[in-house]
Amino acid sequence: MKIDIMHLAKLARLRIDESEAAKFEQEMQDIIEMVEQIPELADDYQDVDPNHPMELRADDIRPSFRREELFANAPQMQAGCVVVPKTVE
Amino acid sequence: MELYSKTATDLAGMLRQKQCSAVEIANSVFDRMDAVEDRVKAYLTVEKESALAQAARVDEKLAAGEELPPLAGIPVAVKDNICTKGVRTTCASKILENFVPPYNATVVERLKEQDFVMTGKVNLDEFAMGGSCENSAFQKTANPHDLARVPGGSSGGSAAAVAAGEAILSLGSDTGGSIRQPSSFCGLVGLKPTYGAVSRYGLVAFASSLDQIGPLGRSVEDVAMLYRAICGRDPMDATSAALPQAAASWDLEGGVRGLRIGLPWEYFGEGVEEPVKAAVYRAVEELKKAGAEVKEISLGSADYAVSAYYIISSAEASSNLARFDGVKYGYRAPNCEGLTELYERTRSEGFGAEVKRRIMLGTFVLSSGYYDAYYKRAKRLRQRIMGEYEDAFADCDVVITPTAPSTAYKLGERVGDILKMYAGDICTVTVNIAGLPALSVPCGKDENNLPIGMQLIGPKFSEGRLFQTAHTWEKLCGGFNAIPTL
Amino acid sequence: MDYEMIVGLEVHAELKTKTKIYCGCKNEFGAEVNTNCCPICTGMPGTLPTLNEKVVEYAIKMGHATNCSINRICKQDRKNYFYPDLPKAYQISQFDIPLCEHGYLDCIVNENGDTKRIGITRIHIEEDAGKLIHDDSFAGSLVDFNRCGVPLIEIVSEPDIRSVVEAKAYLDTIKSILQYIDVSDCKMQEGSIRCDVNVSVHKPGEPFGTRVEMKNVNSFSGACRAIEYEANRQIEILEQGGEITQETRRWDDMKGCNFLLRSKEDAQDYRYFPEPDLLTIVVEQETVDRLKAELPELPNKKIKRYMEEYGLPHFDSNLLVENIATDRFFEQCIALGVCPPKAIANWLLGDVTRILHEKNIEITETSLTPEKLTDMIALITKGTISNTAGKTVLEEIIFSDKLPEDVVQEKGLAQVSDTSVLEEIAKSVLAANAKAVEDYKGGKTNVIGFLVGQCMRQSKGQGNPAVLKEIILKLIAAE
Repeated sequence: MKIDIMHLAKLARLRIDESEAAKFEQEMQDIIEMVEQIPELADDYQDVDPNHPMELRADDIRPSFRREELFANAPQMQAGCVVVPKTVE
Repeated sequence: MELYSKTATDLAGMLRQKQCSAVEIANSVFDRMDAVEDRVKAYLTVEKESALAQAARVDEKLAAGEELPPLAGIPVAVKDNICTKGVRTTCASKILENFVPPYNATVVERLKEQDFVMTGKVNLDEFAMGGSCENSAFQKTANPHDLARVPGGSSGGSAAAVAAGEAILSLGSDTGGSIRQPSSFCGLVGLKPTYGAVSRYGLVAFASSLDQIGPLGRSVEDVAMLYRAICGRDPMDATSAALPQAAASWDLEGGVRGLRIGLPWEYFGEGVEEPVKAAVYRAVEELKKAGAEVKEISLGSADYAVSAYYIISSAEASSNLARFDGVKYGYRAPNCEGLTELYERTRSEGFGAEVKRRIMLGTFVLSSGYYDAYYKRAKRLRQRIMGEYEDAFADCDVVITPTAPSTAYKLGERVGDILKMYAGDICTVTVNIAGLPALSVPCGKDENNLPIGMQLIGPKFSEGRLFQTAHTWEKLCGGFNAIPTL
Repeated sequence: MDYEMIVGLEVHAELKTKTKIYCGCKNEFGAEVNTNCCPICTGMPGTLPTLNEKVVEYAIKMGHATNCSINRICKQDRKNYFYPDLPKAYQISQFDIPLCEHGYLDCIVNENGDTKRIGITRIHIEEDAGKLIHDDSFAGSLVDFNRCGVPLIEIVSEPDIRSVVEAKAYLDTIKSILQYIDVSDCKMQEGSIRCDVNVSVHKPGEPFGTRVEMKNVNSFSGACRAIEYEANRQIEILEQGGEITQETRRWDDMKGCNFLLRSKEDAQDYRYFPEPDLLTIVVEQETVDRLKAELPELPNKKIKRYMEEYGLPHFDSNLLVENIATDRFFEQCIALGVCPPKAIANWLLGDVTRILHEKNIEITETSLTPEKLTDMIALITKGTISNTAGKTVLEEIIFSDKLPEDVVQEKGLAQVSDTSVLEEIAKSVLAANAKAVEDYKGGKTNVIGFLVGQCMRQSKGQGNPAVLKEIILKLIAAE
């Protein structure tokens, strides 16, 4: 199977140059070969598990964080906001 | 015997009998660090100052006659993918090199309530992806039993620190064997708890459905003590469970009479080195002599488990690690023109090769057209594996296997050999896939005097039974606690 | 042959819970940037979501209100994509098992109250993203994460809508239901309700055309304009022999047109998979039943009932139902059984609404009570006061504790029905308007209104016009 490494890299927002791409492709081929040995199993798989229901959270307010504390790790701030390169939808 | 080489259980007793102070214990550990850390390289961040201050507070409380929780004053190292408020948490990644969380992981909060002493943050494979600690962006940790060898991984720093006497206990995380395999390589006891037994809040996620935080120590009792402190339902983690009463209490001295031990033959195959198999068989023989029943069982899907593991863990990782985009925290590539460049350069420069490989694999198995063939298939296999364990536990109480197919290998030996690296996980991954608890305990040494590990696996929330079995073995073999000469 | 448009709508409504969907931060509009935030809603490493129970309840309420079946057992999924307003780089949503599905709405599409049934494909819960602030004076964009994690329901319709009128009826119905069941503020200007639009055109009898999706439709009126525009754009292309391509376009309401955002080839691959940080949602049957029992009468049903039961025109029924507070007041007035529904509706929609608009307040903020209003109306029907005097009474009682009777007394507003007094007035008016009297006799009977009016003026509005008319006719006949 041919894996479109460049397409995957774009989806994952990774930059991969040509030489790396070949290496990645080989490695992924190996892994996928391994994966393809998984036997076909009957499709009785359910993504939901009603025997283990989730406990929901009560709608009670908890104090938010101080902005300075919460964004102390931000690379660039201005006017209380995180700065990113200009976006145009 | 130096304080740093004692168990937490011993130290807790000594503290209460005023045979030593918490500050003396801490100093002993930091002195040991001064002596060996340049060779072991377990720590990414050392918190000496705050640790000594905390130890002093414990001494004050003890002097005032306060009754303190068991872990008060005990030096514990924390894996650097567990968030610590105000203390750098890097995940051994360049992308989080300077990240200082404004919150504690729930486990850290619980240990703080116990007045523990945090020695610092220890090394791992970047984002816990790897089995040798060689994937750390910052340093390669050495195995204290042979400095030319790997400590195992991903919790290699957690294991090396405790094995070298640079901490009494440590916290690691286990997604596919990351606590048990380094415990095995470093001659320690390490527990991967039942999925949901310990809160994951504040553990930087690798694979959410597989990750668990767990304790490493030099004795079964120590590991049980640390586990007791961190387990239990956390409202901040929807996947954490209220522990059944039986799961939180155990009798270490209960013995193994009548215990039904299952040996799955698939885990003793040709991929496992002979000395490892022999050592595990010897230990099982001893347990049999002590009254356990032993039977051979089958866990048929073991052969495919590694594949399912890589699909599920990589899929979740590709999504979990998408948030590292240079926007809110962590590394941001300088001088970027637009948003796409910011994302791509930040992530390409910030992540190491193994992390990128798994993100790519995870992106692939989730991508349009491949989801059913890979991800869905792996989830079905996961269900099959769970069923096989359920069947096995109808016939036995504890399943015993080797923890790893080999003992610690040489640094650099397997770098670049992806499939060989992944094959190292064959004994451990099914446990994560099935959400079960498993304990690795030392069971002798190989011809190079390297520790061998034995894995005890139980049904969900059977940690007590595992401790009890392991402790019986610990007594039979004369104890594990031995710090190698460095 | 004419083209027909095929429209499907995806409405996103923010729920008015106290806290966000996955953390305890306040769900509040208009706060100082980045102050309603915590490590969870800003996607910091190691943090985990916990689902707000009210979000599930509110979504189920909307499911009931739109005749959906409720999936008591369901799950959440991750939708993966990169954007600076999405801090985790995935949105927690629902993919293949939505909380509610297979519903419908009967929307009133004309003055007669005729309805059109529009299918609801599904309603699912998800989190909102943050806001990007663009400022031309600055080279970058700013991110405000306050809105991250605000709970949303997405209501997806079947492609059952065939005209702009139907689209408007559907959107108005959705909005009024959300407000009636009290799960969303639906404040358009705050962006608390938004929609995406899917449009295709075909000739009746032929298969549906290729569908085009439009994003950035931020108001319901904008949605109608966007649909109209897109349908015309497609028809024009087809008429010129062109083909419609499956694509996503961006609506620009200011310019009144849309632009290509991405073609089918660039379609996003969201890589949905089950959210591993959350377990299965299991809602007890009792909860589902309780939420159904708690539903109030829904506005579209109510409008029909007002038309049929009270004989109100569609326009009036709609106006009443549109404002929940006024409608509740209306129902309370009816319940008193003092006066006819039509008279109550006229007063509420007329003078009362005018006063509320002038002061920009809700009826609940006034001192008016159903008792006071119906008493006042009863005074008019009984002939105690004139309609004009009624207006004066209303002005008084709406902002004070005074009762209508007190105002009538105090201001001397009671109508004079004493014929001897009124006869004097009529005599003087007739004397002063001999020309009009001549006209009347000559056959111009409509001058009678003028004469009554003159009498009313002389009586300072207190004369009973019906009695006055009788007297005038009698006097003229006697001449």
